[in-house]
Amino acid sequence: MTAVTCELCPRGCVIPEGAAGDCRIRVNLGGRLRATTYGRPSAVHIDPMEKKPLYHFLPGAPVFSIATAGCNLHCLNCQNWQLSQRGGEEMEEIYRLDPPELVRAAREEGCRSIAYTYSDPIVFYEYVYDTAELAHAQRLANCFITAAYINREPLRKLCGVIDAVNADLKAFDDGFYRRVNGATLKPVLDALVTMREEGVWLEVTNLLIPTLNDDPAMIRRLARWVHDELGPGTPLHFSRFQPLYRMRNLPPTPVETLDLARREAKDVGMEHVYVGNVLGHEGNSTYCPRDGTLLIGRVGFMITHYALTPDGRCPSCNERIPGVWRSAELFGEQP
Amino acid sequence: MTREPDRSSRQPERRRVLALLGGLGTLGLLLPWLRTSAPARPVQREISLHEADFYRPHDLAG
Ligand code: SF4
Repeated sequence: MTAVTCELCPRGCVIPEGAAGDCRIRVNLGGRLRATTYGRPSAVHIDPMEKKPLYHFLPGAPVFSIATAGCNLHCLNCQNWQLSQRGGEEMEEIYRLDPPELVRAAREEGCRSIAYTYSDPIVFYEYVYDTAELAHAQRLANCFITAAYINREPLRKLCGVIDAVNADLKAFDDGFYRRVNGATLKPVLDALVTMREEGVWLEVTNLLIPTLNDDPAMIRRLARWVHDELGPGTPLHFSRFQPLYRMRNLPPTPVETLDLARREAKDVGMEHVYVGNVLGHEGNSTYCPRDGTLLIGRVGFMITHYALTPDGRCPSCNERIPGVWRSAELFGEQP
Repeated sequence: MTREPDRSSRQPERRRVLALLGGLGTLGLLLPWLRTSAPARPVQREISLHEADFYRPHDLAG
């Protein structure tokens, strides 16, 4: 009987023969670890880029979005628990889409980018990697929406084929990670720094849950860390919690809390701070950090106003706004 | 003492009829599935399991 140790994420599961890792979908069969959901997504949708949320990356682009079952976190407030907290064999729907079929499907649907999302795509790593490599060869961008609980070596390799990441930074508190997510904080911070070092476009989301991670001092520490380690131009999204899954006892985040978080982050020097899951909030939109000009107006996932110059500058003061605004910035101009 | 009538000579014939009925039943179940099976629908055919990256044999001694 050969047990194996999975080295993909900081859990480091030791998996006896015939058993699965903590994420449910990496299974030891005869001493070999199998990625059981490779080529078998259970969610396939076309979303706007704003839904990821990625606000400074190809605005308004439709994204071919996929996920398989399984996750290496177990958040009590998971939005996609029917997908993430199940193994592949428990899914009602499993599609057959090998990497070439997936890339072809994305192109046929008119999408110039693919998002690996919904559950945590870390656990279907090999499927992401092979698809992303093929997608790049066909000038499609790759977006990775994750909680960033991944080891450095696999992450570095992955960064070679990923163009944009939205990473959840769930709280600036290790105890919160242990209690609410079944994870730890340090590996997440390390992963975010690695992504920045590798030159992947990075946006950070912090979901504010009343009484658990909405302490203004903690928010300030989080924002300061993002400012110092990832840079003041990193878009930071404060997102509204909704009572879900095993955390229905708490109310939705008051808008005032989100406003306060936004002020705290701006106070420490963050330039692009957003409010998510509140329709029509002014914090849905992008403003020039130098002169305050409205650059991209958004209502929900819809773009209602677009004033950036083609090279991503404020039309009034010429300030360069960090981001990837056109796919030519990734792949060069079309021949 | 009574004896059971000997039915052994009729057994092969009965088996053939049952096999035929069974075959038709399976075909009846399969046909609707064959008609609806397409790449965009839930997977029905078995495919091989991809080997994962980033793992090693667990060293029990270590
Ligand atoms: S990816 Fe899955 S199997 Fe591997 S260490 Fe993480 S939870 Fe365990």
